[in-house]
Amino acid sequence: MKEHRIRLKVNGDNFEVTVESRMLLSDLIRHQLGLTGTHVGCEQGACGACTVIIDSRPQRSCLVLAVQADGSTVETVEGVADDGIEHVVQAALHEQHGLQCGFCTPGIVMSLVAACRSRTDAETAKGQVLDGHLCRCTGYVNIRAAIDAAWEATGGERDSNDPSSGR
Amino acid sequence: MRPRHVGQRAPRVNDHGPLHGTGRYVDDIEHPDMLHAAIVRSPVAHGLLTSFDTRPLKEGISVFGLERLRAHIHAELPVLWRVGDQEQLSTPVVDEHLRYVGQPIGVAVAGSRYLAEDATEAVDLAIDELRPVVDIDQAMAPDAPMLYPGSGTNVIATFEVGDTAEHDDAVFAAADQVLRTTLRIGRVHGLAIEGRGIVAVPSPRGKLTIYTSTQTPHGVRDSICEVLGLRQSNVRVIAPDVGGAFGLKDHVYEDELMVVIAALELGRPVKWVEDRFESLLTTTHARDEIHEVAVAFDDDGTLKGLRVDGRRNVGARLAVFGGGPLFTAFGVVPGPYRWESVRGVGQLVATTTMSTGAYRGFGQTQAALIRERAVDLVARELGIDPVKLREMNMISADELPYQMRTLIQFDNGDYPAALRRASELITGVPDPPDDGRARGIGYCSYVQMGGIGPSDANEAIGIQIGGFESATVRVEPDGSVRVETGVSPHGQGLETTIPQLVADELGIDPESIELIHGDTDTAPYSAYGTAASRSIAVGGGATVVAAQRLAERIRRIAAEMLEANPADIELGGGRATVAGTHVDVAIADVARRAWQGFQLPEGSNPGLVESFCYEPASATFSYATHACRVAVDTDTGVVAVEEYVVVHDCGTIVNPTIVEGQIHGGVAQGLGAALMEEVFYDDQGQPLSSTLLDYHVPVSASMPEIRIEHLEIPSPFTPGGMKGMGEGGTNGSYAAIVNAVCAALPEVDWTDLTTPLSPTRIWRALHRQA
Repeated sequence: MKEHRIRLKVNGDNFEVTVESRMLLSDLIRHQLGLTGTHVGCEQGACGACTVIIDSRPQRSCLVLAVQADGSTVETVEGVADDGIEHVVQAALHEQHGLQCGFCTPGIVMSLVAACRSRTDAETAKGQVLDGHLCRCTGYVNIRAAIDAAWEATGGERDSNDPSSGR
Repeated sequence: MRPRHVGQRAPRVNDHGPLHGTGRYVDDIEHPDMLHAAIVRSPVAHGLLTSFDTRPLKEGISVFGLERLRAHIHAELPVLWRVGDQEQLSTPVVDEHLRYVGQPIGVAVAGSRYLAEDATEAVDLAIDELRPVVDIDQAMAPDAPMLYPGSGTNVIATFEVGDTAEHDDAVFAAADQVLRTTLRIGRVHGLAIEGRGIVAVPSPRGKLTIYTSTQTPHGVRDSICEVLGLRQSNVRVIAPDVGGAFGLKDHVYEDELMVVIAALELGRPVKWVEDRFESLLTTTHARDEIHEVAVAFDDDGTLKGLRVDGRRNVGARLAVFGGGPLFTAFGVVPGPYRWESVRGVGQLVATTTMSTGAYRGFGQTQAALIRERAVDLVARELGIDPVKLREMNMISADELPYQMRTLIQFDNGDYPAALRRASELITGVPDPPDDGRARGIGYCSYVQMGGIGPSDANEAIGIQIGGFESATVRVEPDGSVRVETGVSPHGQGLETTIPQLVADELGIDPESIELIHGDTDTAPYSAYGTAASRSIAVGGGATVVAAQRLAERIRRIAAEMLEANPADIELGGGRATVAGTHVDVAIADVARRAWQGFQLPEGSNPGLVESFCYEPASATFSYATHACRVAVDTDTGVVAVEEYVVVHDCGTIVNPTIVEGQIHGGVAQGLGAALMEEVFYDDQGQPLSSTLLDYHVPVSASMPEIRIEHLEIPSPFTPGGMKGMGEGGTNGSYAAIVNAVCAALPEVDWTDLTTPLSPTRIWRALHRQA
């Protein structure tokens, strides 16, 4: 199996790693970089649990080969909090009981953080964005409540945690 | 008055892991010398495996076929529920007789999952194929191939619940009218988002540590030891964070045992985590039943008799709780109504498909559909409002406790109050503008058996495990508290709610309480773990009593320190205070004294710890009425659930936010089963729903907002008053939504009804009518 030397930045740290052609980005993140907060729920691109932010866009890391992420900037759930201060999306999911078993949660956090940064409106976040994720515990009701709370808290403003804001 | 923590909307204490990536699920566990497994599976639904050859493998890669695995196996997997004339009391772990696609027949182990999967492709199988039997009708046909040739039938067991045939016939004969309906309850998959997984870590000193995604660590330990002939004291099973279970993870599976064998033989840690394809094929399915239902009633709307002939497709072999779901369905099918006769006759039918096992509701979901469809059919036949018909037949508050025809005794509550309020709420919703869609309102009133026990009752109905739970409450020398419980939370929030219970008893802050669970080396024995809506009712009940006893010891020691009478000591705010005075001592100081053993009261042992094994006097019965309004697009068959209300009573509510979260999730799963979720096989027994693009579960757009109102009538049995409610949401929503669709499309003859009511089925039903 051919191997590739790739470079990528994950949660602000630079990595240079060797991967097989077939290695999924989700497996690289979890098992080679040890960032196990990103969960794998289906490897079919359906459940959204493995969503990470690649170059400012949320993507399912099970549908990306590690080699495709060469040169990319990747953000995972471990990197969302800013110096220990949790993102408004994380705080709202906690306060509104938007998670139960928590397995789908990291992917939902990443999609909502990206939506929050891109000033996606709350209805779209509760609709198209959340519909890209499967949660089996919550019935989504309290996740939607968390979106309302988070969007209310940010007033629709770009949040301070956005790496593209030049911080 | 000390602050009361029970009833507070306390935020959950264990959200940090998933929100920040610091959780530890089974696939997050690493060991330096760990190997990875992939399972070799049957590609056919029915056949005899005649050879299993492995082409030469690279160094460091091993493949275990059935013979190599069999050398480690001492016994079959026990079936823990026995019904009727059932002879299948255990099931084989390794078997050359292949009975479903995905049956594990070997395990490959290598340095990575990628290499292990490669190695499975180096296996050459020779199989003499046999004719598959995919559904109940095929399996019961006279010329059907036998899954267990020695038995001469594919009917694994037949059993009866409730009234005798003679009594039933008499009630039906005396009734004014009888209606019949056939309900075909589709096969579903519980679909936890985290699949099953296991890491087996042998040690040279003989101790075997297992990390596994399970709801029942002791149950898994016991079965591993029984099958592999290991000593229970030498096996430690740990449930790390578990990403949903819903009944699917209530036992050890054959493929997991193969991974354990590989680890033991290789002397290395081995990890295996199922992928979604494997999960959809080989993690227990559920339901797949056909019910022939007859309901007898009088012209004035009085319900008289309910008769159910039910057949359940149990798949290739009985799952760990065997026929339990169908048995339970019949047990609770009378629901909140008075009947003169209720009789269920059940058959468990083997087919060449994956086993059907436990799933949230455990038969009670089907029971609700059977009864509530029957009630709606009667109401329609007589032209009586379905709410009025329910109310006139409903057991009133002053009739409780009430013994059903199936011998189960309800405890307390006010069933009509829930029905009336749900009806008010749903009919109070303004009518939507006419957009051409057909609309209907549906109801489901149910009583949910939770808190299953006591142990003698379990034994009497064939359950092979006891119905108690245990807890240990320990105040450490610094005053912080550890609560050890046998229940094994995996999303239910017991890490938050059990400390709320203990905090009230000890007069301390819940933040100082840590729940210890999910580890057979540190948690007390529990045969169930977290399942069957038992955790807060039985596990919580055990904890309350242990905490009460510990509070009594604190009062005695504090009284000695304060030179007061123990009866005058009040606990609150972390202090023990002589009532009506400012004379007090910190509970932490009491704890330090207790662990020093200095100057303790006469007869008081050192230390500050109490354990209690709670054998419940009875099961508990939460109840609810769910009501919803649906809109059906008659051009496409697509159903939208627009409005949803739940009025329920689960006894003492420890944490309303968590209770509501359980209801939300339950409603979603019932909605899925009502409208979209279905496991399919083709006529060769090949699974067709093998991805999440083929097996549809609800997304956010499927789910309405849910209005919940709580009644709160504490259980007369449970210390603390909790009734248990984890499955209720599922039980109510499935039937309420089906009833609403039927009400929306009155032109369709629904007397032969199949769920899910997918767009295809609804469209066909509408066009068959036309």
